[in-house]
Amino acid sequence: MDETVAEYIRRTVLKIPRDEIKPMLQKWGFLSEAQLQTINFHQLKDNISQDVVQLCEENSADIKQAAVLDIIYNHTYPNKRVWSVYQMNKTGEEMDFFDLTDFKKKIKRQLRSALKNVTITFREYEDNAIWIRIAWGTPYTKPNQYKTSYVVYHSQTPYVFISASMLKSNLPLLCQALVVASNYHDIREMELRSHSLNSLKDIVFKRYSQNFQTYYPKPLQERDVAPESDLRIIQENKNEKERIERVNREIFGDGPQPKLEFAQYKLETMFKSDPKRDVLDKKEPFRCLVKFSSPHLLESLKSLAPAGMADAPLSPLLTCIPQKARNYFKIREKKGLFPGSFVSP
Amino acid sequence: GAARTLPSIGRLSRGLLFGGAHGRVGLSPSSRLVPPAPPSQENIDSQKIAFLLRKQWTLYSVTPLYRFSDAHLRDYARLLSAFIAAEKQKGLAVEIGVELGIRVAISSLPDLRGSDRDQAAILVQLSSRSPATPKNSEEKIIWSGWFCSVSGDDFSENVPEDFTCLPLFLANGAESYTSIVGSWFQKTFDCCFRRLAISPLNLSWMAAMWTGCKVDKTASAMELVFSVPHLTQPLDISYAIHPEDAKALWDTVQKTPGEITQEEVDVFMDCLYSHFHRHFKIRLSATKLVKVSTAIASAHCDGIIKFLQSQYLTGVLMLLTELAISQIQ
Repeated sequence: MDETVAEYIRRTVLKIPRDEIKPMLQKWGFLSEAQLQTINFHQLKDNISQDVVQLCEENSADIKQAAVLDIIYNHTYPNKRVWSVYQMNKTGEEMDFFDLTDFKKKIKRQLRSALKNVTITFREYEDNAIWIRIAWGTPYTKPNQYKTSYVVYHSQTPYVFISASMLKSNLPLLCQALVVASNYHDIREMELRSHSLNSLKDIVFKRYSQNFQTYYPKPLQERDVAPESDLRIIQENKNEKERIERVNREIFGDGPQPKLEFAQYKLETMFKSDPKRDVLDKKEPFRCLVKFSSPHLLESLKSLAPAGMADAPLSPLLTCIPQKARNYFKIREKKGLFPGSFVSP
Repeated sequence: GAARTLPSIGRLSRGLLFGGAHGRVGLSPSSRLVPPAPPSQENIDSQKIAFLLRKQWTLYSVTPLYRFSDAHLRDYARLLSAFIAAEKQKGLAVEIGVELGIRVAISSLPDLRGSDRDQAAILVQLSSRSPATPKNSEEKIIWSGWFCSVSGDDFSENVPEDFTCLPLFLANGAESYTSIVGSWFQKTFDCCFRRLAISPLNLSWMAAMWTGCKVDKTASAMELVFSVPHLTQPLDISYAIHPEDAKALWDTVQKTPGEITQEEVDVFMDCLYSHFHRHFKIRLSATKLVKVSTAIASAHCDGIIKFLQSQYLTGVLMLLTELAISQIQ
């Protein structure tokens, strides 16, 4: 067995959390159940991976099998990578019958004719998801197994999720190959990026709960109130709280939000101030870049108004993220009728 | 709203006037002098202080040092070196046997001060050789710390003879070394070190003051970072403004040449908050301002500073000295 393959398998196994190693090797299916029985999965991970490599040696593993293990790892832990979303377009209305074999053949042909040295691995999953792993080389160098790109294509949709990695120069080639192999005309990158692959899918496939027009008010918890406070203020506060909750529900929906980590806004709008203030009054845009980040951005934004830090409703610039399926925006001033509103190209 | 006063309301900032003359000027309590323009104030050799730039310095306030003399720096270095060696023996030091031996160097930086009335800055550096490097190779500086006072003469005037005022201390390197060096100074000169946090109010001042500074080359953006930690999911907001646009706004806000008032800072920040609110309906004033970054320096509320340009170094140090003095009193 090639030394580089052995090392690659060793490193891949090391990435897997200890309790998941055996199940993942079983999913992989390259080592027999009998072989797996011989491994002590309670020892140090270093030793486990050495044992695995030993067994792979016995079975003469090559890079193709190692690549499959890598896909399985990334399919199980997709959130370790950043995914971008691409949308393909075709002019005709018809849904062509999707031929998987033909698709795979065309991808391989497109990539290999340009680069010669690429490792291409496919794996199909339920819900029509095709995972493609590509290790890039050049006409003169072997593929670098540690600099890989992943593509997730749902064949019944025009959407492709790509985790590119450092070799940005290969991206146009990859996009071209996808378009050709899937019988589309072109492909464009959407302004939507996240670690959470499932959330991206939720957004573009509209699988998150959207606002409902009918709404059944839930009774709010009664709060203990200090007896000496003015009853009218209490009622006003309570009304306001209820209003905020209602508005939030209308905008964000009832269910869990798709998980995004950031949103970025490039603002090229005008600076408007209170005329009494006598400050900046330029005719050119006030250029800003605003970035929101959070482990769960949409949930975080949803809780701002109830916490008293934002108005309800929150700005449509923020609440439109799932519907517009983007988290990168460029905002310019809308000219004409409504000078206070914004345009997002 | 309630009048916001500076923590140093009794402390009036003195320093080099805009234009270079010395002298004292009566200022209203809630204002500070504009940091001096660079070309005419270039009395700092950029070469010598280059090592201070683009490094993260953790800030401390230090009470006056009893019977400290800058004529004995060599002796202090020797004593500190012995102290560090002893601490290491006790097993109280840092990394596992990486360094062969730690060499201590203490020197004076006469250029780092506001005026003759300030004590010259004192620099302490710890360097070492690792077992891996060959015997005659250069030593690597593993920790630096410096005491300084820029325009702190107002404070030092009121302090008895035997005391030396260097209220600001900046450290770069492992926390454990800071602790050891700090302990030695505390024991030897009967002083007290305290971490110097920077309040959102003072960060706003820095944002306003530094935005107004004229910078030669293409400046980096003026960035404000806000944190909203207590939500179900914490949120961080970075609000970066093109430096030319930020400066244009500040220039229309600042009315009195050579002087900045609290009101002007408030108006400036309010403008930025309003612009943000107009777009996002979020009230930044209800969040916590944790970091300010401009072309000349960046400051974090935990008391961490980074100097990015040598020209305005003194101006920044002047403000930091003032904050340190406030904390001591």
